Amino acid sequence: MEILSTLPPELIRMVFAVIIIISFIFLNAIMMGYLERKIAGHVQRRPGPMEVGSHGILQLVVDGVKLVGKELLIPVNVDRTLFRLAPILSFTPVILPLLVIPFSEKLQARDLNLGLVFIVSMTSINVMAILVAGWGSNNKYSMFGAMRAVAQSIAYEIPILLSMLAVVLMTNTFSLKEIVGAQQNIWFIVLQPLAFIIYIISGVAETNRAPFDLPEAESELTAGFHTEYSGMGFSLFFLGEYTNMFTVASVATVLFLGGWHGPPLPYGEYLGFVWFFLKVYFLLFFMIMIRWTYPRVRFDQLLNFAWKYLVPFSLANILITAVVVKL
Amino acid sequence: METYENFNTHVRNLGGDVTETDFDQRGYHLDVALTVKTVREFAQTAYDHGFYLVFVTGFHVLPETGEEDKTSGLEVVYQFATFDRLCRVKARVSVPEDLTVPSICHIYQGANWHERETRDFYGIRFSDHPNLEPLLLCEEDKDYHPLLKEEKKLKSFEAVSWSAQRPDTADMENETSPDV
Amino acid sequence: MYPSIMRESQFQEHNRFFLNMGPQHPSTHGVLLVVLEMDGEYVLDPQPILGFIHRMHEKMGESRPCQGFMPNTARMDYVCALPYNHGYVSLIEKKAGIEVPKRAEYIRVITSELNRVASHLLWLGAYLLDLGAFTPILYGFDDREHILDILEDITGSRLTYCYYRFGGVTQDIDDKFVDATRVFIKRLRKRFDMYEKLVTKNIIFIKRTENIGIISRDMAIRYGITGPNLRGSGIAYDIRKNEPYSVYPEFDFKVPVGQRGDCLDRYMVRVCEMEQSLRIIEQALDMLPEGPVRSKVPKNIKLAPGDCNFAVEAARGELSYYLVGDGTSVPYRLKIRVPSYSNLSCLPELGEGILLPDLVSIMGSLDLVIPEIDR
Repeated sequence: MEILSTLPPELIRMVFAVIIIISFIFLNAIMMGYLERKIAGHVQRRPGPMEVGSHGILQLVVDGVKLVGKELLIPVNVDRTLFRLAPILSFTPVILPLLVIPFSEKLQARDLNLGLVFIVSMTSINVMAILVAGWGSNNKYSMFGAMRAVAQSIAYEIPILLSMLAVVLMTNTFSLKEIVGAQQNIWFIVLQPLAFIIYIISGVAETNRAPFDLPEAESELTAGFHTEYSGMGFSLFFLGEYTNMFTVASVATVLFLGGWHGPPLPYGEYLGFVWFFLKVYFLLFFMIMIRWTYPRVRFDQLLNFAWKYLVPFSLANILITAVVVKL
Repeated sequence: METYENFNTHVRNLGGDVTETDFDQRGYHLDVALTVKTVREFAQTAYDHGFYLVFVTGFHVLPETGEEDKTSGLEVVYQFATFDRLCRVKARVSVPEDLTVPSICHIYQGANWHERETRDFYGIRFSDHPNLEPLLLCEEDKDYHPLLKEEKKLKSFEAVSWSAQRPDTADMENETSPDV
Repeated sequence: MYPSIMRESQFQEHNRFFLNMGPQHPSTHGVLLVVLEMDGEYVLDPQPILGFIHRMHEKMGESRPCQGFMPNTARMDYVCALPYNHGYVSLIEKKAGIEVPKRAEYIRVITSELNRVASHLLWLGAYLLDLGAFTPILYGFDDREHILDILEDITGSRLTYCYYRFGGVTQDIDDKFVDATRVFIKRLRKRFDMYEKLVTKNIIFIKRTENIGIISRDMAIRYGITGPNLRGSGIAYDIRKNEPYSVYPEFDFKVPVGQRGDCLDRYMVRVCEMEQSLRIIEQALDMLPEGPVRSKVPKNIKLAPGDCNFAVEAARGELSYYLVGDGTSVPYRLKIRVPSYSNLSCLPELGEGILLPDLVSIMGSLDLVIPEIDR
């Protein structure tokens, strides 16, 4: 125990935070997987998983065990390094944005004053992971999926940045803690409804979720960039996708829905995360519902939509915000 | 048929032999007998009159072994129909001994697959066809033609035409047939 | 469609590659291999390769007595098997001069139209699944279950029906069938509103299907395209109206047509056809006469020498049976002209120079069932 007292308290705190966050990611994947399958089931007039546990609660746990136990197939002519690297590359950087998100007034792993920029840069690494997976699989279908993913991500990064910039212009800071703090009286969704809509749409596109899920378009490309992966590799992609969705939803909550603000609770500084999670899961529910309702957009229509509609609208939004702030 | 007098005249001018048939008995209106030389012109005439291609298939009968009209026993049967006023045309060509018939792919692109299938099943070659490869059978079985009949099962063309003798009705049992 | 792209890539041969779509693929409805020569996302030349499920039904037709071929008729197009049954029994009845009682004809029409509705519901779900919407297929299957239950009671099968016989049908329908069908018709009419909202008015669906895969009248003539694919292009050709058979002349129904001939029009034609089929069924149930359902036919039906042709309107287009008899009970030649065969043969021309998702959309809208193509 003497070792512990010699280490700086900040380091212990960080280690704790990382451990909690990583375990939260797995828990989140389990919860979201369960939510997704139940919602999909009820939208499609069937009950979803019901066997394992009461109402299928333990389904994802059992699925996780199954995926871990599967044989890791590596096809013959792949680039072995890249093939093995891709899932890791997909999963690791998605942990980092969660370190800067303020779950509550006192619950934040680290408050960087460039928090927003950090988040955006980390989420862009996901594109590289997809490209590495597609190329390393030595499979035309995977390569197709990867190329589509790159074009799509590049196209939708810009509206995300521009809609975030609108909020930043109003609060004059990139630090997430201060952005939440500035929403004490009024949530930014009321002041910036257009930016919120653009952010949500682009966020869904960034995480490759339907209706923008071309990189993994099942009916056209069999499974897109993760065709050749089995077992743990596949589940790492899965985890990465769900965590990415969670990050997008939590950034939306922080920027537009007032973060952890809500009716007062005892121990409010710590228990504020209850309101935070309620808002985040509400957004996630919405994202899941969209997936099971709409068909897929065609690729050129996707890019058209981003470049011809979202970018000009978000630019116009920033212009108006700048003018109003100046006045 | 009243409105297809025009068509009948054109076909007769080409040299095809058109007979009108009883639709209720046979299911088609015109029966055209063509030769190898008149196939393409007939197809062009049909296209000009707005007929669509229903099918192209083959047919195997006993070959004629006479001195002048030696045939291979194979026939190609075409069927055309129209969208507007109902008219179904059945045309047949007797395939000569070298088993080659002109292809009508360039007029009716749909015949491309029908002719490939006929070649698979009967071995009839269609000249000027862009890619006469097996369609339904596999490459290894290119030379096996399943629908060619064995010697003892072959019947002459007259035996399978309408003018032939009706079968003896004495041995038909008049009870309801059991559930098959 | 994109001529400038194609001209450029003439000089960049190394950019082209071949992609195999199938034979195991979620979007080709059956075992179909389409070899695509691609340039980036553009398909330059789609060539379908058939024969994976070829079972040589025509030879089977020639090697057994005509009543032995009945089960085969259901195995060709298993989704909409009753019109196949109908065509074959009507052909043999025409050839052998067998009379069919009125009640049997009405039952045949009712069951065929129910099967047509089931086929279109399955097509709707599968088409939207290709486009990426995961939900409508389950709604379609839910509706289809009702039809399958209704038909199972009288025919005994859920999919490959072999219900018609020469001279009528196997078994009479009872009040339970009539009531269940009426309940089903009411239910499906209400569900059409839901499909309208979920699918037809869905902006993404419209964008994926509008102005894609336009079939012109000239193309239809050259390839022999029939059925809803033809009617989507504005040509009102329906064998039930143009070359009426069975008791169809007694019913009042419309033949829906589209205008442009794109995928959206073909979709609308099929949806409207479902409504028209429901109308036919209602009228038939109202006018159902009493009487026997099967007339006496000889045990061994001898087919007189000569050829005979019979065309019916299957769910996918014009289905023709062409029979040559030789005096025995075994047909001398049986040719089955299948609608999807001609519909698919236009794919190389229709799919030249388009994007891959558009090709998936076109193939879905043509409503192909591969076992009937391969026979």
